[in-house]
Amino acid sequence: MANYLAQFQAIKNTSDRLVVAVEDVSDLWPSVKEGLEKRLPLKKASLNNKTRNPVYVENLQAEFILTTDSRLRSRFPQEQYLFWFREPYATIVLVSCEDLDEFKTILKPRLKLIVQNEEREWFIVFVSKAHPNNDQATKNAKKVYARLEVDFNTRKRERCCKLDLNGVDASFWEDFDFKIVESIRNTLDRRAQFYEEEIRKMSEQRLMPVWNFCNFFILKESLAFMFEMAHLHEDSLREYDELELCYIETVSTPGKQRDFGGLEHGDDQAALLKPGFKPLSQIVQDDSFREFEFRQYLFARQVKLLFRLGRPLEVVMRGYSFIISFSKTLALHENTLPFCLREVWVISACLAIISSTSSTYDGLAAPDNEKEFYRLHGDLYSLCRIKFMRLAYLIGYGVEIEKSPVNSASLSMLPWPKPSIWPAVPEDASAKVLAKEKLILQANPRMKHFNIQRKQLPLEPSSLLREANRRRASLSVGNLSELIDYRQIDGSGIDGHQKFSPSTTNSMSRTYSGPNLESSLSLDRPMRISEVHVAAEHALENTVTDPDLLKSLSSLEEFEQKYMELTKGAADNYHHSWWKRHGVALDGEIAALCFKHGNYDLAAKSYEKVCALYAGEGWQDLLAEVLPNLAECQKILNDQAGYLSSCVRLLSLEDGLFLAKERQAFQLEVVRLAHSEMKHPVPLDVSSLITFSGNPGPPLQLCDGDPGTLPVTVWSGFPDDITLESLSLTLTNTLNTDEGVKTIKSSDAHILKPGRNVIKLDVPPQKPGSYVLGVLTGQIGNLRFRSHNFSKGGPQDNDDFMSYEKPTRPVLKVLKPRTLVDISAAVSSALLMNELQWLGLIVKPIDYSLKGSLLSIDTGPGLMIDESHTIDINEYAKTMEDKVHAHDSNTITENNTHPLEPKQLYIENGKIALPDWASDTSTTLWFPVHAIDDRMARAASADSPHRQNMVDGMRTIALKLEFGAFRNQIFERTIAVHFTDPFYVTTRVANKCNDGTLLLQATIHSQVKATLCLYDAWLDLQAGFVHVRKENGRPVSSFFPLVISPSSTAGILFSICIDNMAIADQNEVVQAESILNVMYGISGDRSNGAHSPTSLKLGSSDKLFFKVAIALQRPILDPCIAVGFVPFSSNCLRVGQLINMKWRVERLKDLEASPSSSCKDEVLYEVDANPEIWMIAGRTMGHALLSNARGSRTEITVTCMPLVSGHVRPPQLGLPAMDDANISCNPPGPHLVCVLPPTLSSSYCIPA
Amino acid sequence: MIASVAVVGHQNNPLYLQSFTNANDALKLHHIVHCSLDVIDERVNNPKRSVSTLNESYLGLLYPTESYKVYGYLSNTKAKFLVVTTDLDVKDADIRSFFRRFHAAYVDAVSNPFHVPEKKIVSRTFAQRVSGIVKAFAAGTNG
Repeated sequence: MANYLAQFQAIKNTSDRLVVAVEDVSDLWPSVKEGLEKRLPLKKASLNNKTRNPVYVENLQAEFILTTDSRLRSRFPQEQYLFWFREPYATIVLVSCEDLDEFKTILKPRLKLIVQNEEREWFIVFVSKAHPNNDQATKNAKKVYARLEVDFNTRKRERCCKLDLNGVDASFWEDFDFKIVESIRNTLDRRAQFYEEEIRKMSEQRLMPVWNFCNFFILKESLAFMFEMAHLHEDSLREYDELELCYIETVSTPGKQRDFGGLEHGDDQAALLKPGFKPLSQIVQDDSFREFEFRQYLFARQVKLLFRLGRPLEVVMRGYSFIISFSKTLALHENTLPFCLREVWVISACLAIISSTSSTYDGLAAPDNEKEFYRLHGDLYSLCRIKFMRLAYLIGYGVEIEKSPVNSASLSMLPWPKPSIWPAVPEDASAKVLAKEKLILQANPRMKHFNIQRKQLPLEPSSLLREANRRRASLSVGNLSELIDYRQIDGSGIDGHQKFSPSTTNSMSRTYSGPNLESSLSLDRPMRISEVHVAAEHALENTVTDPDLLKSLSSLEEFEQKYMELTKGAADNYHHSWWKRHGVALDGEIAALCFKHGNYDLAAKSYEKVCALYAGEGWQDLLAEVLPNLAECQKILNDQAGYLSSCVRLLSLEDGLFLAKERQAFQLEVVRLAHSEMKHPVPLDVSSLITFSGNPGPPLQLCDGDPGTLPVTVWSGFPDDITLESLSLTLTNTLNTDEGVKTIKSSDAHILKPGRNVIKLDVPPQKPGSYVLGVLTGQIGNLRFRSHNFSKGGPQDNDDFMSYEKPTRPVLKVLKPRTLVDISAAVSSALLMNELQWLGLIVKPIDYSLKGSLLSIDTGPGLMIDESHTIDINEYAKTMEDKVHAHDSNTITENNTHPLEPKQLYIENGKIALPDWASDTSTTLWFPVHAIDDRMARAASADSPHRQNMVDGMRTIALKLEFGAFRNQIFERTIAVHFTDPFYVTTRVANKCNDGTLLLQATIHSQVKATLCLYDAWLDLQAGFVHVRKENGRPVSSFFPLVISPSSTAGILFSICIDNMAIADQNEVVQAESILNVMYGISGDRSNGAHSPTSLKLGSSDKLFFKVAIALQRPILDPCIAVGFVPFSSNCLRVGQLINMKWRVERLKDLEASPSSSCKDEVLYEVDANPEIWMIAGRTMGHALLSNARGSRTEITVTCMPLVSGHVRPPQLGLPAMDDANISCNPPGPHLVCVLPPTLSSSYCIPA
Repeated sequence: MIASVAVVGHQNNPLYLQSFTNANDALKLHHIVHCSLDVIDERVNNPKRSVSTLNESYLGLLYPTESYKVYGYLSNTKAKFLVVTTDLDVKDADIRSFFRRFHAAYVDAVSNPFHVPEKKIVSRTFAQRVSGIVKAFAAGTNG
C-alpha cells in the first residue's frame, strides 16, 4: 500500500473539493450546466462531523463532473476503494421526457440501471423543456414527472425534483440544494464510518510485525483530507493530531534504527508552513517516514487547518512548543546533522511562524488572547535572537555582543553545538584567520564609565576554544597535555579571547606564520580561537542555505542590523504582552547597541526605562549594572540634571555593589558638576543618599515665644566628606496644618562626614504645637538638593525604596502659652501709711530660668519708692520653712547655697536686674516705699463706728519683668498694696457727772499686725470744752506705755468739762475739732505686715506720732423744737412689712427772730435712713405745717419698710433749717429697733 | 542542578537570592529570577488561565527554555519562591517538597523578631538551611 504514496500525493494535490457526478441521460448538461454551477459553492450545508453531530458549513466547495468525464471513468476499482474520498459524493441524474410511453419503455429501465448501485447517493432532476404556453407539452411533462415520482420516490426519501427550463421555480433550487446536501451528508457519513472502521482495524495491529505506519497514515490522512474537503476542519485537525501522536510513538519505539533526515540541501530552513516541501514518497523509509521531514509535514498540515479555522494564536502557541520540542529532537541527532543545523533551523522556524501569523492576525481577539499572542511572538523573537547570537558568537562576533545579564542568561547556559567533529579550518583561510584575529584584537572592550571594573559576564557555557579543540582532539588522543598547556598560555578561561594578550599573539604567530604552513594544520595542533571562528564560519556557510541569514552573518554591520531587528521585535512584542520585564530588559540591549552606534539619545531613553524598572522593584544588583551606562549617556548628552541624578543614585546603591574607589569617583563627579558653571542651578533629590532624623530621646521643648537650637542627625551616604554651602530643614506643625511649613536654617557651612553627623539648627520662636521634620534642603555649589527621606536612627537603608513614610515622632514641641513666672506681694496685711515701709514682692519662676531678667517698677499715685535705700533680696523664706518642716536638717544647708551672693540691689532707671543666683529660685524683693495720705484720721462715735474705707489705703504698683534668653518674655502685673493708719479711734462720753464733768473715753483699735506701744497721748480740745482742772490734756490716769496687741483695743479716759465762757468769744479763731495726739511705737516684722520704719532711718527716734481728730458736741441747752420719736403701734416689725414711722414735732418757743425763714409757719424736714436697711416709700424731704406759736405741734409720718432683720438703727428725722443746738431729741442719742425676720410663706410650696 | 534560589517580596523586591554556580555570574540569575516575575504576575493576574493552580501555592514550571527551567511557589503573603534549575528533567513532586521546605525555612527566618518585614533576609542560619535544602534536593534527584 505504501506504493500508493506517490499516487496519493498526486490525488491530494489535484482534488481539493467534493465531487458531484452528473449522469446526463438526456443530453441536458449544456443547457442546465450554467444554472447548476451557479449554486456552487453551496451556501449552507448541514453536515455531520465525526461524532455525528450536525455542523453547518458555509460555502461548501463542490464540483460537477459528468460521469462520462475521463477523471471518473479511468479509475480502477481498487483505486476507488483506496482513495474513496475523491469519489463523487452525490450523483445527479438529469432526465427529460415528454412521452409517457417512451419513459416507460426506454427511460425507466435505464434509470433503474443507473441507480441500482446502492453505494451511490443519487437523485433525479427531471428537466422540462415545455414552454408554458404549450399546454399539451406541459401536461405531458407533468404526467411523465408524476410517473417518475411514483417509480423512484420511496416513502422515506424523495429522490426527484423538476426543473422547468422555461421559468424556473425558486422552490426548485431550494429542493435541489437540499437534495444535494443530503446526498453529500449521507455519503460523508458512510465513508467516515468506513475509514474509521479501517483505521480501527489497523490500530489493533499496532504492536504486530505487520504494522505499517505508511498504510495507517494513508487511511488516516484520507479521512482527514475528506473532512478538510467537506470543510470540517476541526475534525481534520483532530485526525492530524492523532496521527502525530501515533507517529511519535512509532518513532520512539526502540529497536529499529531509522534515518532522521535533515541532511539534504535546504533542510536548514524550516518547512513548517510548506506541507508540500518534499513529496512524501521521498521521505518514506521502510514502513515509516523520516522524522525530520515528516514531523514538519504534519505540523504544516495542522497549521494550514488552523489558519482555515482562523486561529493564528493557536498557530503561534503550537508553533513555539513545536520549535522547542523539535529543537530538542534535533539536539539528539546533532552529531549526524550538519554543523549548527539546529540553530539555523530554529531561526528560520521562528521567523516563519512570526511572519505567517503577524500577517493573519486581525487584532480583534480578546485582550487576554492578544496579550498571549504578543507574548508568544516575543518568545519566538527571543528564541530566534538567542540562536542568532550563538551563531554570531561562533563566527567571532562575540566580542561585539554586550555582556549583559540578559545575554549571559540566554547564552551561558545554552550548550555548545555538539557536532561529531568540530569543523576544521578550511584550506587557504589564512586571510580570514588574520581578519578574525584583527577583529578580536581591535575589539575594544568598553571600559565602563567611572572606571568601574567588573568581571564581565560569560556568554559561553564553557570555553569555546576548549570545546572546539576537545571535539577535534577526540579524533586523535595524545595532544591533551598540549591542549592544557595551550590553554594556560592563552589564558582562556571562560572568556578566553578577552585575555588574548598581544605577547601571546606574537608567540603564536611565530609558530603559525604563513599560509604555507596551513596545510600542516594537523589534528594534533590545537586551533586558536580565530581559527575556531573561521572554521565555524566556513561550516556555517555550508549549512545555511537562506541567503538572508547568510547575509546577516556576513559582516559585523549586517549582524548588528539583524540583531537589532530581532531584539526590537522581541521587546516590542513583550511590551504588548504581560511580560513587561522581559521587554524592558531587552530595551537595555537595544540601548547598548544604540550607545555603541553613537545614538545616545535613544540609548538614554531606553536605559532610563530599564533603570526605572529595576529601581522601582529594588533590584539593585541589576540596577548597578545599567545605571553607569545611563550616566555615561547623560554625560555625553550634557544632561547635567540627569547625570547628577544618576550619580546620586549610584551613590545611594547598596555598599557592596561598588568599590570604595568607584563610589569616590561618583562623588567627585557630583562635586565637580556642582561647582562647575551650570547654566541653571539644578534641583536634585538626594532622598536616598542623605537622610535625616531628630535626635533620639524626647523632643526639644520650647516655651511659647522662645527661640532655640535643634540638633538634627544627618546621615550622609557619600563615601567622603562633602562640604555643604548651606543647609536648612522644614518643620511641619502636626497639630495645625494650615500654617504650612517653617524653614529653619543652619547658620554656617557644614562638612558632612560619611555616616552620622549632628547638626545644630537655630529655631526662631514658633507657634505652640508639635513639630516634625519635613524636608532637608541644602546647597552643594550650584546644586540645590532636597531630601525627603527620614532615616530611622540608623544608617540609611536602601531597601526602604517603597516607603517614603513621614516621620511621626515630633522633634520639637513648642508649649502653649503658660505662666512662666509669678510675682505677688509677700505680705497681705496692711502697711503703715505715711511711714517708710518695706514692700515685699515674691518673684517665683515656674520651671523657667529668669537669668538676666530685668524688673521694672512703676508706682501708682500716692506711693513712692525711696531710692536712697538699697533693695533687699533673699530666698523666699516660706518655701525654705516648708522644706525644713518636710525634710531633715540637711536641707537647710542646701538651701543656703548662696550665702555669699549679693543680697543688696540697686534700682537704676526704675529697673532692677535680678542676680543670676535668683534665676531658678523663688526670691523675695524688699522695696522701701512710702505711701502718702494727707487727710487726717478722724475718730468715730462708739455708737456708730465708721471704719476707714479700704480703698483709701490702697496703693498700686505696676511691675514688668523682662526675662528669657533674649528678654523676649514679658510678665506684667499690677499689685495692690494696702496701707493703713496704725489704729483708729472711737469715742464716747462714758459718764456725765453732776458737776458737769464729762468722762470722754477714747478707744484705740489696732489696725496692724504688729504690736503697738503707746508712749503718750494728749488731747487738744476744741472751743467750748476744757480740761478739768485746766490740765495739759493727759488722760485721767497715766499708765503709759500702753501695749496694744495686734487686732486688739485699748481705752484712754479723759475728763473734760464744758467751757461756758467760750461761747461769748465768737470772733476768736476757734479750733473746730479736738485733736488726740498719740506718741507710739511699733514692733512688727516686715514679713508679716506693718513694721517699724525706724529701722530705715538710723539714729532717728523710734517713736512715731499720730493725730486723730475728735468731734465733740455740746449739749442742747436752748431747745426751740422738740422732736419725739413715736413708738410703733405694734411691738414687732417684720422684714417686708410696711410701717409708718412717726415723729412728733413741737415748738417749745416762739420763734420770732428768724428772718431767714420765708414761710414761718412751716418747718423743713428730712428723713435720713440707711438705704441698705430701709426702703422709704414716698418723700424723704418736705415741709410740714407748724405755726410759729409756742406749743404748736405737728406729726410727720413716713412709710417705710425694713429690709433686714435684727437690731437696726431706725430712720432719723432731721430739720435742716434749724441749728442742731436748738433741737431737743427724744430719745436723745441713736437708738435701735428690733426687726423680725419675715414670716414663712408657704405660698410657693407645692403640695406633695 | 539548582543554579539559584530566590525569595521575592510581595512588591516584587528581592528578599533573598542565592546562586549555587561556581562562576561569578550571579547577575544573570538575578535577571532570570526578575524576568520570571512576569510569569507569576501573569498567572496571578489572570486567574482564568490558571484555574487549576489558583488554590495552590505551587505555581509549577514557570519558564521553560532550552537551557534552564524556573519553578515558582507563591505564599499566602505573596512572597514568591523561585528556583532556577539547569536540570531539564525534574520530578514535580521533588520540586514541590523542595518548595515546602524552603517556605518553612523562610517562615522561620521572618519569624525572627529582629527581622524587619519586607527587608532582605540576612540571616546566616537561613542561608545555611537553604544550602542544606538545596544539597538535599541535589542528592535526592541524583540518587
